[in-house]
Amino acid sequence: MNKPLNDCVIAGSLKNPAAHFAATAFSLLYQSSTLGMEIECSDHPATNAMLSFAFKTPYTTPVTCEVIGWDDSDQPAAFSENIMQAACGIMSIHGRANSKTQPLGLNYVSTVTAALALQGGVAAAIGQLRGLSISNSCVSMASAALLSETQYIADATAAESPERLLPGSIAYPAAPPFVSSDGIVFELETLSADPWLKFWTRLGVSSTLAGKGWTAFLLRYARAIAPIPNELVTAISNVTYQQISVLCSNTGMSICPVRTIDVRLDDEHFKYEWLKGSWTFDFKTDGNNVQAKPASNSLPLSGLRVVESCRRIQGPLAGHLLALLGAEVIRIEPPGGDPLRGMPPMSEGCSTRFDAINRLKTVREIDIKSSSGQAEMAELIRYADVFLHNWAPNKAAQLNLDYCDLKDLNPALVYAYAAGWTTDESTFSPLNAIPGTDFMVQAYSGVAQKISETCGTQGGSLFTLLDVLGGVIAAQGITIALLNRCMNNAGAKVTSSLLSAATFLCADDFQNRHHSFDINAISSSVLNGVYMTRQGKIAIECCDDKTMQRFIQALGIVAESGPAELELRLGELFLLKTAEEWAAILQQVGVPAAVVIENLTDLHNNTRLRSRLTPGSYTRVASPWSFQ
Amino acid sequence: MSITVIIPTILRPLTNDQKRINMSGFKVSEVIDEMEQQFPGIKAKLIAGGAAHRFINIYVNDNDIRFCDGLATSLQDGDVLTILPAVAGG
Repeated sequence: MNKPLNDCVIAGSLKNPAAHFAATAFSLLYQSSTLGMEIECSDHPATNAMLSFAFKTPYTTPVTCEVIGWDDSDQPAAFSENIMQAACGIMSIHGRANSKTQPLGLNYVSTVTAALALQGGVAAAIGQLRGLSISNSCVSMASAALLSETQYIADATAAESPERLLPGSIAYPAAPPFVSSDGIVFELETLSADPWLKFWTRLGVSSTLAGKGWTAFLLRYARAIAPIPNELVTAISNVTYQQISVLCSNTGMSICPVRTIDVRLDDEHFKYEWLKGSWTFDFKTDGNNVQAKPASNSLPLSGLRVVESCRRIQGPLAGHLLALLGAEVIRIEPPGGDPLRGMPPMSEGCSTRFDAINRLKTVREIDIKSSSGQAEMAELIRYADVFLHNWAPNKAAQLNLDYCDLKDLNPALVYAYAAGWTTDESTFSPLNAIPGTDFMVQAYSGVAQKISETCGTQGGSLFTLLDVLGGVIAAQGITIALLNRCMNNAGAKVTSSLLSAATFLCADDFQNRHHSFDINAISSSVLNGVYMTRQGKIAIECCDDKTMQRFIQALGIVAESGPAELELRLGELFLLKTAEEWAAILQQVGVPAAVVIENLTDLHNNTRLRSRLTPGSYTRVASPWSFQ
Repeated sequence: MSITVIIPTILRPLTNDQKRINMSGFKVSEVIDEMEQQFPGIKAKLIAGGAAHRFINIYVNDNDIRFCDGLATSLQDGDVLTILPAVAGG
């Protein structure tokens, strides 16, 4: 069974939202459809300020779910996807690798917002079933954007040697991705230095230069830049893709071409994955006797225990989100602690980027490779509500900690696997032989190609956007399984992956081609750009013709100009005032506009974001949810 | 050979909170052995099975020793040995 919310309903003005909410509404409808929910679309006119829907179950009173732009209702301001990317710093992080502050070219913030909004509704329903009287859940697009960059904000604001990485401040070649002599653009991946050294030395690169490349390659996940020496880029550009593929298999490197959305559509299992949605659920239907534990405080998952054995970003972020919803999260680390604890920059003796997504957890050090460690894990999981891991494929079985090893021990358990590639472990996937990491999945899924089309680059983003979205949907899947457990007394295994996150992120492209769901397409914005001003840059997005008319009127320019002429005119005009002055002028007439944040430490200066940021030894991002 | 070693924050509890220490040795392994004598326990944090831990990068000046001669990488007077925890993958 893959439709855990069959008995639930989502109701609201989701099919005719305001233009700036269209992508969020689309994502909500896609997820609701794949979860088997009934969709009730009302004829009430949508408002500009809020996207509202009700989440209904047979056992709870309806939860009103609100999606807003900014948190501070005292300072209303027009917003949109790219305004959030600009004002919250995503453009800046993405721009580090290509010297230019620019949008991702994806409805990223809208997609993350939709997932968090639906999760908020589901969590509130769980809260009701556990004795709380939560009837309202609210998420802002700004809080979703800030959550996406939690680790980057932590690094930029660290007490000790903070990162100072601004778009255009670093000279480097535009790699990865790499380009072969026959013009194929591709990603390389390895998680250890040996294959990297063998690969490059066989291409004639000195070991010293290969080492400098490794340092850049290694740190690209943390810093969103990869200043790989030119010599490596040149060496690989002299060889065909076929030759590079052979070299990869001989040296232990992994390779993946940057593929288009259309190529992705032709994958054997694609349509099944697309229709199934972000998760594979496997519900335990026999021998359950699940007692709903009462909540221990006002948060909906309080009193529930999560055991997490995860590394890096995707899994730990999922655990962090569950902790933000009130769950007690016990994090399993190897003896001596997770090595990422020592990765600079540091604050108060701990890596800031690590602490940013692990600070709410308690830690148990267990050697999970030893039989005594596995027994200790099983004992912990016996009394847990959720077990979450993001191990490599087949590792759970090797550790005797797979779902089949644990479901009889704890029939009520929600067993969650945050995977890289497939969510269907019953089907052999050759992809499992290569590391399912953010940049490989961006390349494979079509996400990288979409970004390159917008940005004029060769590939995707070094902003770890899939790790983050993968973490969000992993937490969402767990929350849905917990609700199902409350309603149907069934434990479950839920599997999500970076690839299923990528499919969710590109859902509008797939819907445009397959028309599988009763969801309207998302219209492109009429104007969407970043412009230099007398001081700073300004981002502007006119999502529809009416907004564009107001924009033209406010600037006093001729509407009949062609696109090239208009861009030229705007380029000249915006140089006459500062970004802050232009933002004020345009916001006054309801045009989404914002000063582009280039230095993440400037986020504190935006009064609309302040309530979501907590200064300290590094800046912490607050929970994206508020419940009433 | 006089070698400056830059200690990462995570290991400073073992070096009495010293960020930079002066050691001597002709090879990286000799410097680490001397560090172990002065700061017992630090060697196990850096190496296992005759090589640096996967999550510990050791640089001689700007060069990762994995891409030189590993722990046998030779040192010159005045070299700077930097220890930097880092993990591959996202």
